[in-house]
Amino acid sequence: MKKIIIGAALLGSSMTASAVAPGGPGCGWGNLLFEGSSGLPAHLLATIVNGTSGNATFGMTSGTNGCDTSGTLTYSGNSLLAMNGVLEEVAQDMAVGHGEALTALTVAMQIDPADRDHFNSVMHQNFAQIFPRDDVSSGEVMDNINTVMKRDDRLSHYVS
Amino acid sequence: MLWLCVVLWGAGTQAATVPDFAALAATPRWQALMHVNPGATLRGVGTSYVDDADFFLATDGKADPEAELRATWRALEPAQSQARCRFPARYRFLATRLGWHESAPLAHCDDYLAWRAQMPIGQLVLVFPAAYLNSPSSMFGHTLLRLDAEPDPDAVWLSRAINFGAQAGGADNSLFYIWRGLAGGYPGQFSVTSYVEKIRDYAFVENRDMWEYALDLDAGEIDWVVSHLWELRGINFDYYFFDENCSFRLLELIKVARPQAPLMTELRFAELPVNTVRALYGADLVAERRYRPSKAVELEALAARLDANERALAADLRDDPARVDTPAFKAYPPPRRHLMAQVAYQALRLRNREGARDPDVARKSLALLRVVQRNPAPPPQPVPEPAPPERGHGTQTVNLGVGRQDGRDFLAFGYRLTYHDLFDPLAGFLPGAAIEGLDVQLRLDERDGLALESLDLVNIRSLAPRSEFVKPISWFVHAGLEQTPVADRARALGGFVQGGPGASWRFGDLFPYVFAVARLESVSGTDPDAALGGGAEAGLAYQAESVQWGLHARWLEFTSQFARLRTGVTANVPVSPDNALRGECSHERWQGEAVAGCSVSFRHFFD
Repeated sequence: MKKIIIGAALLGSSMTASAVAPGGPGCGWGNLLFEGSSGLPAHLLATIVNGTSGNATFGMTSGTNGCDTSGTLTYSGNSLLAMNGVLEEVAQDMAVGHGEALTALTVAMQIDPADRDHFNSVMHQNFAQIFPRDDVSSGEVMDNINTVMKRDDRLSHYVS
Repeated sequence: MLWLCVVLWGAGTQAATVPDFAALAATPRWQALMHVNPGATLRGVGTSYVDDADFFLATDGKADPEAELRATWRALEPAQSQARCRFPARYRFLATRLGWHESAPLAHCDDYLAWRAQMPIGQLVLVFPAAYLNSPSSMFGHTLLRLDAEPDPDAVWLSRAINFGAQAGGADNSLFYIWRGLAGGYPGQFSVTSYVEKIRDYAFVENRDMWEYALDLDAGEIDWVVSHLWELRGINFDYYFFDENCSFRLLELIKVARPQAPLMTELRFAELPVNTVRALYGADLVAERRYRPSKAVELEALAARLDANERALAADLRDDPARVDTPAFKAYPPPRRHLMAQVAYQALRLRNREGARDPDVARKSLALLRVVQRNPAPPPQPVPEPAPPERGHGTQTVNLGVGRQDGRDFLAFGYRLTYHDLFDPLAGFLPGAAIEGLDVQLRLDERDGLALESLDLVNIRSLAPRSEFVKPISWFVHAGLEQTPVADRARALGGFVQGGPGASWRFGDLFPYVFAVARLESVSGTDPDAALGGGAEAGLAYQAESVQWGLHARWLEFTSQFARLRTGVTANVPVSPDNALRGECSHERWQGEAVAGCSVSFRHFFD
C-alpha cells in the first residue's frame, strides 16, 4: 500500500500527494536530476527541488521548483496563483490586459469562454485593487479577485 | 469417479480458454507494453528495457515476453484481482484480445481510478525545449510529453507534463555523473508533473524556447499511454546518456499508443532529441507545431519595438521606476510609455528570475506594472518564429576539400560526430552557439603523405550578446590535438587545452566578440615539452540563414618566451539543408616564421 501511495505521488496525483507529508515521497525529487542527452558537466547541473508552501508572495522568483504541497494538479485559481512565478505572470497579464497566465486563471476558475474578455478587462481596470501592495500574497490576490468579481454583474455568479 | 470429473473439467477449461500465448506475445502491442528492444539499441535485443523486478510477474519476464504474458494472464484473469489495479493497460490488452467482457473490471481499483480521474485525455504533445543562451551543451535539447484536457486547449498551463529523467544521488561529483550516465549507472523513471512548472523551468528560468508538436493520436490511443504510465510508476529503467535517454523512452511510450508506428525500426545510437522529432514526422504522427518563445526572446522582441532612446529610457526605468515622473518619459505618447514600462518590467524579472525574494525588486516590479496598466497598450505583435529545430542540419558531418599551404597542395577530409560550429548552416540553431565533439581532420599532402591535421575532442563556443538588459559572459573551451607551429618552422602534432571568458554583442546578424585566452599545450620533441600561454582573441561572426562568415585574430604569449599570432577568415554557404560549401584562409606567425594557407571544402550533414 505504501508503495502504491509513493508511486501515485510520483506520478502526481494530488489526492495521494496530499496524504504524504511535505517533503515526503511526493517531493522525492529533492535529489538531482539530469535531463537531455549531452555529456557535459554544464548541462548536468542539478535541479534542486524544494518544497513550497501553499501561498506565494508577489516578487517571489521562479528559481525554486515546487513539488507543491497544495496539490499542483488540482487547478483551483488559488492553487495556480500559489505556484512560484505564476503570481507575477498573472500580474503582468492583468496590467497589460490579456495573456496566457490570465487565460489559465480563467480556465482554472471555470469562467465561461464567452466571459473571458470581460473578465480580462475587469481585472485590468481593477489592477490597483487586486495588487494593492508589493508584498501581497497569492491568497489575498485571490480574495481581491473575488471581491472585484462580486461587484460585477456578469461575473458575480462565479463567486459563491 | 471424482477423479475423472476433475480431470475432464480441467481439460475442458483449458481447451476453451487457454490462448495462443506465443502469437499474442509476438503482437506489436504486447511487445510495446513490455518495452521489448526490437533491435533499436545494441544491448539486450529481444529483452525488455525495463530494469526493475517489480514490473514483471514472471521471474524471467524481462527476457521472455511470452512467459510474462502467461503470468499476466494467470494474475489478471480472476475478477477482483489486485494485479489488474497494478496493470490496467495489460488488462485492456488481454480483455480486447481474449474477448473478456466484464462491465466494470477495475471497479475495485480505488487508487488507480482516483489517479486516472485526474489525467486528461484530449491531446498528446511532444515538447522540445531548445538550446538556451550561453549554454551550448543544451543544444542537444530535451524532450518531454504534454497531456492536454482537450485538443487545442485554451490553457496549456493546466496540462500535465510526462517526463523521463535519471535520478542521481546528490553526493556524486560531475565526473562521476558522466561516467555513470554513460554506463547506465543511474536509474531513470517516468514522472508526471504540472506543465506550468516545465514552462517555468525551461522558458522562464533557463530561457529556452519551447517547440510543441501536437501528435495525431486519438483518445483511444492516448488512453493506452495513460494507463501504461500507471504501470510504470516507480519503475526503473537504466538511464544511458547516449541511446536510452529521455527521448528514446518517449518513443517507447508513443509505441504503446500506436504499436505499428515505424519509430524504432532502425538502430538508434546517440538518440538526439531533434531526431526524435524527425522520427515522429517520419511516422506521420505530427499534427501541428507551436512555438513558445522564452522570456529572454520575448524581451528581445519587445525591446526591438523600441528605438535606441526608448531602450535607454527603459533600462533607466528598470533601475529606478521613479523616472516615470521625468519630463523625458512623459513626453512620449501613452502606448510608447506602456511599451517602455513593459520592457523595463520584463528586464527586471529576467535579471531576478532566481534566488530569494528581494523586497526592492518586488517594489520596483509593482511600480512598473502600474505604469503599464495606466497607459493603454499598442496593438500586440507576435514574437517572430525562428526556423524549428527539425529543420536544422544533420548531427554528423563529413567534409572533403582541397587547399594550398605554403606552396603545397593538399587534400583534406574529415568526420565530425557532433554537432554544429559557428559557421555551419544556422537554420534551426541558436545564433552564436556552437558545440563540437569528436572532430577528426586528415590531410593528404604531395610530400608528407597522409597526416592527422587535427582531432577536436570538444570545442564549445558561446557568443551570448550583451545588451542594455542582459550582460552575460561569453565563453569558450577547446581541447584536442592539432598540428602546432614549432620553432624550426615545421609543424608537429601537439595536444592542447584552451579556453576563456569573453564578451560579445549583436548588431543585426553580426556578432563582434572578444575573449581572454589561456592555453596549455604539449608538443612531442620540443623543449620544454609543455607550454603555458595567455592572450586574447577578437573576431566577428555573421550569423544569418543564407550565409555565415567570420574573421578572427588570436594572439598568444607563452611563458617559454615565444608568441604566436593567428588570423583567419571563414565563409560558409548552405546549398541545401544538409550540404554546404566552405572556404577558409588562415595565417599564423611565430618567431619570425609564418605559415599561410587556404582551402575550400564541401560539407555534408547526415543522421
